[in-house]
Amino acid sequence: MTSRRAVWAAAALPLLFIGYFFLYPLARILWLGISELQVADLLGERRIARVAWFTLWQAAASTGLTLLVAAPLTWAVSRFEFPGRRLAQALVIVPFVLPTVVVGTAFAALGWRDSVGAILAAHVFYNVAVVVRTVGGMWARLDRKVEEAAAMLGASPWRVFRTVTFPILRPAVIAAASIVFLFTFTSFGTVLILGGFRYSTVEVEIYRQAVTLFDLPMAAALSIGQMIAVTALLTLYARRQERTASPLVLAPETSTRRHPEGRTAVAVAVSVVASLVALAIPPSVLVARAAADGGFRRLFVDEPVLGRPIEAVPTSFSFAIVATVIAVVVGICAAYVISRRGSRLSQWFDVVLMLPLGTSAVTIGFGFLIALDWPIDLRATVALVPLAHALVAVPFVVRATVPLMRSIHPSVREAAAMLGASPARVFRYIDLPIVARAALVGAGFAFVVSLGEFGATAFIARPNTVTIPVMIFRLLGRPGLGNFAAAMALATVLGAITAAAIMVMDRFRSTDLGTF
Amino acid sequence: MLTVDDVTVRFGDLRAVDGASLEVGDGERVAILGPSGSGKSTLLRAIGGLEKLDAGRILWDGVDLAGVPPHRRRFGFMFQGYALFPHMTVGENVAFGLRMEGRHPNEVRSRVAEVLEWVGLSGFDRRSVDNLSGGEQQRVALARTLAPDPRLVMLDEPLGALDRALRERLIVEMTDLLDRAGTTALYVTHDHDEAAHFAHRIALMRKGRIVQVGKMEELRRNPVDEWVADFLG
Repeated sequence: MTSRRAVWAAAALPLLFIGYFFLYPLARILWLGISELQVADLLGERRIARVAWFTLWQAAASTGLTLLVAAPLTWAVSRFEFPGRRLAQALVIVPFVLPTVVVGTAFAALGWRDSVGAILAAHVFYNVAVVVRTVGGMWARLDRKVEEAAAMLGASPWRVFRTVTFPILRPAVIAAASIVFLFTFTSFGTVLILGGFRYSTVEVEIYRQAVTLFDLPMAAALSIGQMIAVTALLTLYARRQERTASPLVLAPETSTRRHPEGRTAVAVAVSVVASLVALAIPPSVLVARAAADGGFRRLFVDEPVLGRPIEAVPTSFSFAIVATVIAVVVGICAAYVISRRGSRLSQWFDVVLMLPLGTSAVTIGFGFLIALDWPIDLRATVALVPLAHALVAVPFVVRATVPLMRSIHPSVREAAAMLGASPARVFRYIDLPIVARAALVGAGFAFVVSLGEFGATAFIARPNTVTIPVMIFRLLGRPGLGNFAAAMALATVLGAITAAAIMVMDRFRSTDLGTF
Repeated sequence: MLTVDDVTVRFGDLRAVDGASLEVGDGERVAILGPSGSGKSTLLRAIGGLEKLDAGRILWDGVDLAGVPPHRRRFGFMFQGYALFPHMTVGENVAFGLRMEGRHPNEVRSRVAEVLEWVGLSGFDRRSVDNLSGGEQQRVALARTLAPDPRLVMLDEPLGALDRALRERLIVEMTDLLDRAGTTALYVTHDHDEAAHFAHRIALMRKGRIVQVGKMEELRRNPVDEWVADFLG
């Protein structure tokens, strides 16, 4: 049938894109890791074992701490109605959308570098939103009658929580913990900035081996190990997701939220205010110190090695525009294929298109570095950075547009066909206008992702393609208080642009896209 | 003239349509009547080119339509649930087929006004399709189907979702409208009264097969078997 041909035609572009810029570099990494490295070398290195151990335990510790720190705020905003609740819920998201380099610089501005404490604190800061959204989303819909029934049967408030509330919330808690664990396990920018030379995760080690020590086979082997670990984590997570689909005692959010009274009101107020103040400290200190140390002026002063820091801004913006255009075109074609349910191609596509999201940015950058010299040497061109950004951003566009494309009933497309529209015109007049708003949101995500992207860019940026995050990182590595001030100022600029972009997008948001 | 020649459509092991044959003359209205699951909608979709034939042929004026995609058949199809374009106004919905033909905007505008008047929705063209009642949606869908003046109009349970009183009124309106235009039409339904009112001839369908074709009185008088007699009461 002709519609089949149309689907294949739409599939061609994303297939080529993902094939050449993702699967092929991955294959090169695998080949490099397997062919040129003795496994004994890898196991023999004490340093590697130490890095692997640190990666694991800091992720576990970050996850546990995040759950603890987020608990009071989650309880307050999901169980109670009070003035400013919506604002509190919105503000919590801000740290999560900040680029990792900005978060790293903010904690460095607190004077807290080269320490495990700083790394853990930054991870908690970044991930509190995950817990509030994931666990709070479920908690807000938990019918109070279930808890009241337990109380009527003689359970004290603490026992109600332990025996009823928590067991019901457990799937959401596990889901949130898995996501935080995955994020902190693959943390790169924050650890690179705050860990100094002593503390290094696998991600950071891949970067050190490849960029500082030029040991490419070792970097490849580490990448392979990282991919295996992340795949295992994601598989585990997906399994749990399926098992959690249990019928719950849910109620509309409006019926579960109470106005807090007496001592409860005090507890709610303390939880909310203390959490928000704690979350506000790092960015506030960043902005204040950047201003006090004259960082904003330094942005326009020539640094002998790096040039004028402010020049990274136009570079980043032009890359972000190009990356967004590529990601939107590729992403919409892919969404068109994925939304054609039932065909095997669409299921397979759904998985393949999400792979860049599950792959660490460092691996993507490393793959670009070693693979894109064939058939022409793309590494010497300015196209490399926007292409990497587009690759990272495509899953966001796909996730934004697929639900809307799926919502188009097949008979609507058939009606257009019966009225004389060819498959291309059905796409033009039906699919495109319906997903336009969602595509705009996807484009916004792509833009923000590109502006903040650091993991991949760190590998492939050249002197003429220094983006804002890379410039911040390089400024942090240069001696002198002036450079540190400039780094803080540039981080402030990037954070402000990101926050503004997210707020603009929020207005266009017509569907709930989920955050992850 | 439409010729359905020994058409079979399979879904896996199920023969949804099983060797169906039927002829519809120019200006004739035929109802395909049968219980749910008898394959009548599938047969209609096959004629529209929306389902692949596993055997048999569909011809228009003797020309085989195999290889002619739905958008080049110049058939009108009114879907169950209407399938209105949610992002377009009433007027844009009705104009869609005309725009696909590349007609001049002025011509499109006057034709849309004309067709909307036929269905009693004059002045509705700027309305959003979200805020229409069920009956109004049905009329918009009908107007959209008729606007490009298709050589065959196919209606798939066009009154299915509406209440009894509205259905009785709309079937009369719709039949009059097609009668005046002299449109060739196929009407799929499970409702005897609708079929009897709408069609010159009725094709009875059961388990993918067309078991008997004729006027309602003929079918009632001379049912080919017990099932037909039972089904028509």
